[in-house]
Parts: sequence; structure tokens; C-alpha cells
Amino acid sequence: MTVPPPVLTATNIRKSFGDREVLAGVSLEAREGEVISILGGSGSGKSTFLRCLNLLEVPDEGQIAIGDVQAPLARNRHGRLEVSDSRAAARLRTQTAMVFQGFNLWPHLTVLQNVMEAPLRVHRRDREEVLATARSLLERVGMAGFHAAYPKRLSGGQQQRVAIARALATNPKLVLFDEPTSALDPERVREVLALMRSLADEGRTMIVVTHEMAFARDVSSRVVHLMNGRVESSGPPAHMFGADASPAFRAFLSPAAL
Amino acid sequence: MMDDLAILGFGPDGWAPLLLKGCLLTLAVSAASMAIGTVLGILLAWARLKGPRWLRRAALVYGVILRGVPELLVILLLYFGLPSLILSLSETFGWEAPGLPPPFLIGSVSVGLVSAAYQAEIFRGGVGAIPRGQFEAARAMGFSDLMCFHRIVLPQVARVVLPALGNVWQFNLKDSALIAVTGLSELMRTSLVAAGSTRHPFLFFGVAMALYLVLTTLSSTAFHYGGRYSNRWDRG
Amino acid sequence: MGEHLTFIGSVTAQLVRAVPVTLLILAVSGVCATVLATGLTAMSVARSPLPRLVQRTWTFLFRGTPLILQIFMIYYGFAMVPWIRHGILWAAFRDPVFCTCLAMTCCCSAYIAEIFRGALAAVPRGEIEAGRACGMTGFMLLRRVIAPSLIRIALPSYSNEIIMMTKSTSLASTITVLDITGVAQQVIAHSYRTLEVFCAAAALYLLINATLSTLLTALERRLDVDRAPTPLAPIPPTLEPLS
Ligand SMILES: Nc1ncnc2c1ncn2[C@@H]1O[C@H](COP(=O)(O)OP(=O)(O)OP(=O)(O)O)[C@@H](O)[C@H]1O
Ligand SMILES: [Mg+2]
Repeated sequence: MTVPPPVLTATNIRKSFGDREVLAGVSLEAREGEVISILGGSGSGKSTFLRCLNLLEVPDEGQIAIGDVQAPLARNRHGRLEVSDSRAAARLRTQTAMVFQGFNLWPHLTVLQNVMEAPLRVHRRDREEVLATARSLLERVGMAGFHAAYPKRLSGGQQQRVAIARALATNPKLVLFDEPTSALDPERVREVLALMRSLADEGRTMIVVTHEMAFARDVSSRVVHLMNGRVESSGPPAHMFGADASPAFRAFLSPAAL
Repeated sequence: MMDDLAILGFGPDGWAPLLLKGCLLTLAVSAASMAIGTVLGILLAWARLKGPRWLRRAALVYGVILRGVPELLVILLLYFGLPSLILSLSETFGWEAPGLPPPFLIGSVSVGLVSAAYQAEIFRGGVGAIPRGQFEAARAMGFSDLMCFHRIVLPQVARVVLPALGNVWQFNLKDSALIAVTGLSELMRTSLVAAGSTRHPFLFFGVAMALYLVLTTLSSTAFHYGGRYSNRWDRG
Repeated sequence: MGEHLTFIGSVTAQLVRAVPVTLLILAVSGVCATVLATGLTAMSVARSPLPRLVQRTWTFLFRGTPLILQIFMIYYGFAMVPWIRHGILWAAFRDPVFCTCLAMTCCCSAYIAEIFRGALAAVPRGEIEAGRACGMTGFMLLRRVIAPSLIRIALPSYSNEIIMMTKSTSLASTITVLDITGVAQQVIAHSYRTLEVFCAAAALYLLINATLSTLLTALERRLDVDRAPTPLAPIPPTLEPLS
């Protein structure tokens, strides 16, 4: 069996806000079809790391590559890392997609328009084709009946499912999820997790920041524990949730186990 | 350049004393209209919130008219229209005809009438911003209506309302310049007269602008600190 | 009584003939001020400090002084500046309508820019990030994500400002323009019947403002997607055009 090629390579990412170091050198590689769960305490820098991956946050240090395309990061004359070519950064982002904790659907566009916006405007794909994809995706996430609704009228779970359809509409190589279920009530959490599980089964490459231990254990192919701005431990779920997991990770899990 | 300094100075040909007097008059007229506006504004807000049906309607119509008609027109109407009304009344009833009304009174009343329409909206919104529970808590503890207003409503309304009142004050200050059309020698009028008689309009309008900037900046700073004080309990 | 009515009728007819002047000033300065305000808003979020300083100074200057003074400065003050008096600009600066429009453009652009600035700050960050995350940049982000939200947020205050501008057009009468207020004063000078004339003029302004605010409220409703009903019907075979 050959090892699939890496979709994302992040090396030694560092990031500080003021004099508070949030990421102290985090490296991560995601291969095609992998589902990586990032776990860690509140404020451990999970969101910051995820946002560095698509350059919503510019890291102070480190390299990022999607496929074999390097992120356009270069030092400016003060020696700080900067996006050196915003077009290239945008091109890089078209290869990835992000699902936010707060959904962030565009309120002035209908469900269907939200899903069609990026493939139509950013990727400039053929309208008929985009429409067909969007309809089948909405079907897929169980939102087919709501194509003409505006986001504000939908429940949180419905909004998040639309947001996932929107993320998939461009057929990205990598989907980033930042706590996609933590703004939802338990019933909605289940519908969204089921959807994410089916995406994983389909072979999507995903990086998921989550507090849902069951999802991390049952669905992901690798679990990464962030602590104090570093990867404290990582490995396949069988190892991480097994007997010889690192003490720090077990300590992190214990309140959840109670 | 030396002429400029001389006509701006305190000397015999200098306009400085008159300009400064104009400033004071502008402040006085604005303050008077603000006071009229506050008293009438509170009454109007009360009428909109608690008054009988006809009074509510009347207060609403008042607001629509005074906020929809140019301030200049209101001033002109009061300054020229009121005397003609009084004149025709006194003809009918055989009274002695009065002369033109005093510009200061007419000016501050007309700007005040407009100001009241805006302030009424602010007070109405301010009272609406207090959670109902606050009134109920006060009533449950046996506060009288007046005490409830004084101890509970006023401090909270002040916090919400003060920044908005600061805005109205700025508008009053600038609207007071329109009173120049009645011949009251406030800052605008004085600069106009100075510009005409010295034939240096650029200079005098520039100075007047600078003086208005001083007035607006000083008063907005005052409102800023007033706002901070009235808000002192809402900071961590 | 009949004489009274005919007088009010003829006065109203005269005033109505001045409505186009008022509307012209309003339209020209409204459009110019909005365009200028857009530029000022862009300056206010610029990276380098100079444009930000320009925007702040502009706001300070034009919001801190009375509009009537600005109009006088432009109409009487600039007339005494030699290079304007004897330059090609004189053709414009001798025209009181132009001077009113110029002053109102400068003044109201400062107010409108503050409205836009507030609205820009109120556009939810997440919506913008969602746009960035799927690869939008610059103009596309502005047009497809930021502007639609910004316009909806700014519209109520913007409508208010337009009403304020309508009222401000009356200041043109102080520099000899025969707009509604100007004609009203002219009629009074001939007839000495102040009350009726001013009330007729006030009614006209109220009518203009009522019309404007009705139109703007209608626009607000149209843009308010929250009011749109949620059709739960299955996807129809032909989809409505996507804008
Ligand atoms: N833009 C910012 N400016 C300043 N500090 C920030 C910023 N973004 C994040 N931080 C800080 O960085 C730290 C890590 O934040 P981050 O959002 O990455 O945590 P997290 O692991 O996602 O936490 P949570 O589970 O609560 O979402 C926090 O202490 C936060 O206060
Ligand atoms: Mg987070």
C-alpha cells in the first residue's frame, strides 16, 4: 500500500499576540483522506492554528504548503512574516474551505446563493454546473427544501449544514472545521456530526477542531493534542484513547470522562 | 498682514471684542434653546408615552412637523409671522399694536422648539431602554412614582441619553447661526457685519469658523466627561 | 374667506414652481456627498496615516461649523480670493446654486462618511472572514460581502441624513437662490402676508420629506431579507434568477 500524498504541510508555526505566545512551533501534515482532530483546552491556540493554515491569521514564523504550493509568506523589512502576494494567498484559499463555529453565512444571500457564491464568483465555473452541484449538495446535507430561504430564518443546525454545503461547493482539497458544533444544542450537534462522519467516510481530507470526544475517537484517523502552544502528543485514536496515552492528554480527557 | 492683525485685535478698529461678545451671545442663545428644548422635550416624551390618546397624536404630529420643516423656516415664521398674527389679532380686538419681538427671545424659542422635537425622541428612547423589571422592583419596594423617577429612571436615562443630548447641543449651537437672519448679533451675524464693513470676508468667516470649532470642541469634551461621570457605575 | 383661499392658491402655485430648484440642489449635493463620503470612508480605514488624518480633519472642520457659515465662506469669501475671482473658476463660484451645492457636498459628506464608518465597523467580522476563506479578495469581497451588509446597516441613518439635507437646502435662500424658502420670502416682501406663505412653504417641505422617507423606507424593506417569507416548497424546475 502506497502512502497518499500530503495535502497540507505546516512546519513550525509560531504566533504571538502582543507578548503572549499562543503557538510555539506547531507542525502538522495531513495526507489525502485523513481526518485529523485537534483537541486541547480552551485558549490553547486551536483556532489560531487553524486560521493560520488558510492565512486568515498570518503566522510569525513557519511554512505552510497546500499540495506542493507554498503559501506566499515572506519577511518584510521589519523582519516580520507577511503575506507577500495576496492573489497567491487567495488562490491558496480556493484550494481549502472553512466551516466556522458561528456559521458565518452571508445574510443577504439565500441558501442556494450562499452555496453557489464561491464557485461562481471566485472559481468562475459554469453556472449550470455550479447549480447542479449546489442542488445535489443541499440534497446531501438535507437542506434541499430550503434553497430560497435566507439564513436568519434557519435553525443553528440547519445553518451549519448549509455552511458545510457551501464549504464543499468548490470541491476543496482540504476542509477546516473550527468547533462546528459548539454553538449548537445537543439535537443539532447530532445532525451535524452525522453529516461530518459521512464526509469522512467519503474520503474527504479534514482538519477538525472539536470538543466532541466521540467524534475524535470514532471518526478521525489521527488525534492531535495541543497544549501550551505545542503538540503535546498525537497519534491514531486507538493509541490516544488507549492505555498508553500521554498523562497530559489523559488529564485533559478526565473531566470529560466524568 | 499688519492690517489683518489690527482689524482682528482689541484696538479701536479691532473686531475682537465684538466677535467675543458674539461668541457669548451664541452660547447664551444655544443654552436658552437647549433648556427650552429639554423642558418641552420631556413634556412631549411624557405625552407620547403616558398621555391620553389625543395628546399622543398631537405630540407625534408636533415631532413630524418640527423635524420635517427647515429650521430657517421656523425662525422666519416666528420672527415675521408671529408679529403679523399678533397685529391682526390686536386690530380685531382693538389692542395697542406691539413692535417687532426681541430677536433673542424669538431665536431661542424657535431653535428650542425644533430642539424639543429631537429631544423628545431621545427621552422616549431612553425611558424605553430601561428594563421593565427596574420599575417593578422599585414599585415592589414601595417607591412612589416621583421617587422612582428621581432615583431609578433619571440616573439610568442620563447614561443612555447624555451622548445623544450632546449631539442635539451641537446642532443647537450650529442652528443658532441661523438666528443671524433676525439681526441678533451673535457670532454669525457679527462676522457677517465685519466681513461686509471691512471687505475681508475670507478672514472674518475663517475666524468665525475657528471660533465655532472652539465652541463645538469644548462642549463635546464637556459632554464626553459628563457622559463618563453618568456612566461611572457601568464600568468594570 | 374666498379671497383668502385664492391667495393661498396662487402662493402655493408660485412656491411649487420653486420646488425643482430645491430638488436640484438636493439631488446634486446628495449624489456628490455620497460619492465623496465613500472616498472618505475608504480613507478612514487606509493603512497609511495621511489619508486617515485627512478624513479626521475633514470631519472635524465640516461637522464643527455651521453650514450657513460654510456657504457664506464659499460664496462671499472665495469671491475675494484673487485667483478665483480672475480665474476660470469664477464662472462657477459666482453662481449661488453652485456654491450651495459645494458647501452641502463638503458638509454632508462628513456626516455621511461617519455613518458609513460606523456601518463598516458593524459588519460582522465572520461574514468577511467567510469570504476570505473561500478566496475572495479586494473588490469582490467589498462588492459581494461587505457592501450588501454595510448598505443595510447604514440605510436608516442615511435616510435621516437625506431628510436633514432637504431641510438644509433652504439655506440657499440666504445667498439669493430662489428655492422654496427664497420664493416664500420674495412673496412676503410683496404681500406682507407672512403666516400663510410660510405655512404653505412648510407644507411643501413636509411633503417632499414624507415622499423621500416613504421611498427610503420602501428601499429598506426591500433590502431587508429577514422579512422575506421562507418557502418550504421543493426546488422548482426553473430557478429564479440569481443576482
Ligand atoms: N486576534 C487576537 N488578538 C489577541 N489575542 C488573541 C487573538 N486571537 C486569539 N487570541 C488569544 O490567543 C489565545 C488562543 O486563542 P484561540 O482562539 O486560538 O484558542 P482556542 O484553543 O481556539 O480556544 P477555544 O477552545 O476557547 O476556542 C487566547 O488566549 C486568545 O485570547
Ligand atoms: Mg477556538
